Amino acid sequence: MKKELVELKVNGRDHELAIEPSALLLDVLRQDLQLTGSKRGCDDSSCGACTVLIDGVAMLSCTLLAASCEGQEITTIEGVSEHGSLAAIQKAYGDWGGAQCGYCTPGFVMTVKSLLAENPDPTEEDVRQALSSNLCRCTGYNQMYEAIRAAVAAEREGIAAAK
Amino acid sequence: MSLPEFRLLRPHAVEEAVMMLERHAGNIRVLAGGTDLIPSMRQKLFEPPYVVDLRGIAELRGIRRQSDGGVEIGALSPLSTIERSVYLREHFPVLTEAAGTVASPVIRNMGTIGGNICLDTRCLWYNQSLAWRKGCGFCIKKDGDLCHVAPGGLKCWAAFSGDTPPALLCLDAEIEIASINGTRRMPLREFYTGDGIIYRKLQSNELVTRVFLPAESAGYRGVYRKLRVRGSIDYPLAGVAIAMKRSNGHVSEAHIAITAVNPAPLLVKGASELLAGKMVDEALAEAVGDIAARTAKPLTTSALTPEYRREMIRVFTKRAILAAAQN
Amino acid sequence: MNNGFSIIGKRTALVDAAEKTTGAGKYTDDLSVSGMLTGKILHSPYPHARIRSIDTSRAEQLDGVVTVAIGKDAPNPFGILPVGHDEHALAVDKVRYVGDNVACVVAVSEAIAEKALELIDVDYEVLPAYFDPEESMKAQADFIHENKPGNIEKDYHHVFGDPGKGFSDANQIAEARFIAGEVTHAAMEPHSTLASFELDPHTGKMGRLTVWSSTQVPYYLQHKLSLVLEMPMQQIRVIKPLVGGGFGGKSEVIPLEIIAAVAARKARAPVKITYTREEVFWAHRGRPRTIVDLKTGVKNDGRITAVKARVVQDGGGYCSYGVVTILYSGALLGALYDIPNIQYDGYRVLTNKPACGAMRGHGTVNVRFAFESQLDELAAKIAMDPAEVRRRNLLMPPCITVNGLRVQSYGLPECIEKTVERSGWKQRKGKLPRGRGLGIACSHYVSGAANSIIRSDMPHSTVNIKIDRDGGVVVYTGASEIGQGSDTMVAQIAAEVLGCSLGRVRVIAADTDLTPIDLGSYSSRVTFMNGNATLRAADEVKKLIAAAAAKKMNCAPEELIFRHDVVKKRDTQAGRDGTGATQEGPSVSGRVEGQILRGSLQQKRKEEGPKDWMSFEEAVVAAIDFHGALTGTGSYAPPPEARGGKHKGGGVGPSPAYSYSAQVAEVSVDEETGEVTVHKVWAAHDCGRALNPVSVEGQIIGSVWMGMGQALAEEMVWKDGMLMNPGLLEYRSPSSIESPEVEPIIVESVDPEGPFGAKECSEGSLAATIPAIANAIYDAVGVRLHESPFTPERVLAALRAKKKEKALNLTEGVDPTDPVRFREHGGSLCFKSRGPQRHALDPAHRQAPASAGGAD
Repeated sequence: MKKELVELKVNGRDHELAIEPSALLLDVLRQDLQLTGSKRGCDDSSCGACTVLIDGVAMLSCTLLAASCEGQEITTIEGVSEHGSLAAIQKAYGDWGGAQCGYCTPGFVMTVKSLLAENPDPTEEDVRQALSSNLCRCTGYNQMYEAIRAAVAAEREGIAAAK
Repeated sequence: MSLPEFRLLRPHAVEEAVMMLERHAGNIRVLAGGTDLIPSMRQKLFEPPYVVDLRGIAELRGIRRQSDGGVEIGALSPLSTIERSVYLREHFPVLTEAAGTVASPVIRNMGTIGGNICLDTRCLWYNQSLAWRKGCGFCIKKDGDLCHVAPGGLKCWAAFSGDTPPALLCLDAEIEIASINGTRRMPLREFYTGDGIIYRKLQSNELVTRVFLPAESAGYRGVYRKLRVRGSIDYPLAGVAIAMKRSNGHVSEAHIAITAVNPAPLLVKGASELLAGKMVDEALAEAVGDIAARTAKPLTTSALTPEYRREMIRVFTKRAILAAAQN
Repeated sequence: MNNGFSIIGKRTALVDAAEKTTGAGKYTDDLSVSGMLTGKILHSPYPHARIRSIDTSRAEQLDGVVTVAIGKDAPNPFGILPVGHDEHALAVDKVRYVGDNVACVVAVSEAIAEKALELIDVDYEVLPAYFDPEESMKAQADFIHENKPGNIEKDYHHVFGDPGKGFSDANQIAEARFIAGEVTHAAMEPHSTLASFELDPHTGKMGRLTVWSSTQVPYYLQHKLSLVLEMPMQQIRVIKPLVGGGFGGKSEVIPLEIIAAVAARKARAPVKITYTREEVFWAHRGRPRTIVDLKTGVKNDGRITAVKARVVQDGGGYCSYGVVTILYSGALLGALYDIPNIQYDGYRVLTNKPACGAMRGHGTVNVRFAFESQLDELAAKIAMDPAEVRRRNLLMPPCITVNGLRVQSYGLPECIEKTVERSGWKQRKGKLPRGRGLGIACSHYVSGAANSIIRSDMPHSTVNIKIDRDGGVVVYTGASEIGQGSDTMVAQIAAEVLGCSLGRVRVIAADTDLTPIDLGSYSSRVTFMNGNATLRAADEVKKLIAAAAAKKMNCAPEELIFRHDVVKKRDTQAGRDGTGATQEGPSVSGRVEGQILRGSLQQKRKEEGPKDWMSFEEAVVAAIDFHGALTGTGSYAPPPEARGGKHKGGGVGPSPAYSYSAQVAEVSVDEETGEVTVHKVWAAHDCGRALNPVSVEGQIIGSVWMGMGQALAEEMVWKDGMLMNPGLLEYRSPSSIESPEVEPIIVESVDPEGPFGAKECSEGSLAATIPAIANAIYDAVGVRLHESPFTPERVLAALRAKKKEKALNLTEGVDPTDPVRFREHGGSLCFKSRGPQRHALDPAHRQAPASAGGAD
């Protein structure tokens, strides 16, 4: 099918791209923009490894047509590190064992980011509910809860990652 | 798995969208949240030359209170918006509860109420890749001529697996359907056919645009109970919705609907009559559970055996009634 | 907990954590090289068929298709075991399961490749297929592999001690059939391989091959590529990028890894193939459906007198690790408890389904489910506390078990004690409200196999270390990081031995051109074996540094202590506060600080005169000045004493050390729905020594969690060879909602041969979780499930049967408390009536003019 020009705004930068109308956002991010942090783990919209933020709302980039996202702010895992250092949630995931093989981690980080944006002080139950969008095969989720608690505390004390 | 090739149409208004549907009727699929259509297109269940993407139609988003106390919900409203609506939670709790159980939080950010109403029926022999379906020789719903769950039958038993329609049925909701000829309103209970293939009464040039909750349905206590293996992600394996009004401890009116156990979501006939005017107790709830279980005709379209799913309709109906009578 | 170590035992973020949390790290599918093409595999729609012919011409004519590879492009057989070379990259003559690999299209895009798959014409002669192992064993003809009559891949019959006498000595005997459903790894990263040939400057032809692959075993991959491609191993470089989880699913050579190379050779261009999730399920290699007929005898004092097990594994269409799996199932009846008499009959059976292989807890899990459940039943019969009956059967190490396994460190008693204590077992067991219960179970696992798959005298792990004048420590290890933290383990051990900060250590891993050979990440061997090799390599370098430093400091090398980036004489104050100049900076910035410090220290030194301490870099520079290059190497081979008995099959099971686990699970059961909720699991695990407690706890929790998945929800559902749930939507890996709190309890028995006493921690806990949950369900509602997973319908069926309520066929005729056969999905395939004609409706065929209108 003939390619069409679209303009995508990803992590604050505008990109003009020629893509097929059937191109999925995940594929465009990974292949056209080389933003390979978002992962594909399934083909049935069930695993969450490809989670990105669309205008701040967590969505599955494998289930969105890239062309449908024109005019919206797309934030990927590559857009999370602040000023060249780890965001609190990224640091905490490392420190507390929230990431083992790391393949699902970008998706989880995006999910947590959207959770904390809406609800900066979530209860255990809020966290458990929010994380249920993403599958992890390594951690059993337990250490993620600790990581998120630590990140929330770090944010509250205003000491994100060392800058 | 890549998507089949198609031309993407991106209308900004309903009039535009219905013109596109008219022009390409039969060759076009409607894309809203994408959580049902996109995986299905990967599996080559649909290979339409055209896809019309409704995301740009702002007028179809939002929950609006009507002057008469009813509510109009734009078909493109995400399920998460419905789930979090304070107004709906207060006045139409069965709907917010059902919306809050759909798949996972991220899916609810994407999936829409219109999409949930129009959800394709599901079956383990159908929702599979092209390569897989070749292995089973296809099925009557797609590319084949036999049914694997009811061998010899010519009817498709794929299960309607939406969570919000049973809630909407209990609320006596209506839907607005648009085409180039204008709009028409239809009670949701008339929308589904009961057949797994042509599961809804929607012409190929038509679009579901709005959902209306009548003022008379406001204030019902509501409960939705869903059978699934995981606490998230899963489609329902059985679901029961109830809306109940009481006065002086007696049921004045109640509606019960079930999902995921038939090719259509169904109001349980006879349940309202059995409950009306009575005090809810365990025995009554069980009796209604029996009728609901008789209404359910699950086949081996999903995980867990049909016998178990039907049993759960019985148990969940009972529990939903007791819960609604309590809260 | 620190035990005088400065790095070991500290809670440390993985050395690659930032790569993972930022998305910067590269997994195989994230890689691309110029001119790279996409490969897509055509899979068999039949469970068992002979291939009469393949015509790829229509596919090759499609625009954008470069080539189509088929079986005869690489007909050499391979398989992970030398006795099981029964696979081909692409089918040569037969297909053996729905999903078997038939052809591979190489094209410029995925979409075109997928389209081309529909244009490949394969003429199949459909053969009778076998789906149930007990039926498969009765086959008289049409064997799945011609050289395996009765479709038996391998059977073993072991007798240790005198089981007959053991049973006659018993006061109570239990005997039952247990059935465990099939599960798969479902690692989040689908398998991916990128293969690229270089042009040889001398011949001008295609020369060296580089393969990037999501593998746990890069060296085995190199070896098998060499066999199939008929290329010398030294011409093949295998690089393992980040791997998104393995659990055994990437612990052997998966067809796509060979296919990618074959396709790249034929296409004369780099080819990447990444499996769809469905293909991952077809590649499988998971834990087989297993029938365990188990008989156990105990005396009234709780002592086990004998165990007899007959195990039948539904192995799928190829050998894979099957021979090892069926041996582990028998061998690991020993080494947990003291069992004097064991009889084992194991049958690995071929069926027309994807091959089963190694999965976390390889071979032991399903038998452990049966054994620990039966032990609970026996405890009830002799009216003994289930925790106590386990205590009555402890080994007395050091010892050699009746089946030849050497046990040295043995933390099981402490594991039992701690879980019992933390869970409040004594106060709460049997006293919880109805519907809620506690269950206990134990398990163990090897810390690497004492005998390698390919019998040879070579070390199982070798590690090289290089230190240059910049003071940076580079460790070259063949160990495969797959998320378990092996790179971090290696860095920690090197840093501890050398007394330097962790940030100074750079790990280069799993690249066959750069790193010395290591067998791979499987059977929980890496910490023990590669850890020991790292320790020895670091010791060797340390000796070189010590020799040079001692000279500078006028002392004997033995007097030196390496710690906190300082080399100092024993009993000397060093640095600002006596512990070392960079004491505050054993962080990632240590390297930078080190360099700054070096300059200033050197200046200072010139003024100061006699030395009683040196910075690490000064010592390194001195050593390089003295010796030339500063490198060290270390390797590890299991000691001969640990290699097991001489009986046939005795090579599988022996390990230099075993880990131990005891768990208590707390569950509640909804008696109306049969739904089981696991509230909490207390899991004590003896890992010898916890090198990095964060990782150890993560591995324990992860194992318990995966066991819980198998116990409650995960199951590959079959109908006549069709996998009904080949995706993460229908194969239900638990979400956060139903995942319980797991309290990991680390027990350190300090193994005499482990690196710093460490043993495995990533697999051993899994097996105990399933029976702990089964036992807890029994405690909660009094039903004993002999079939896993304990799905709500099975639990409800068992409850209904117990209460003699209205009988409902909730489980398709299989009683979960007394299962006789595997359950199949209830649909119908109409195989017999329609046979191959069911494909007349294939859209690909419909498009072809010859069959337009349909023959059907």
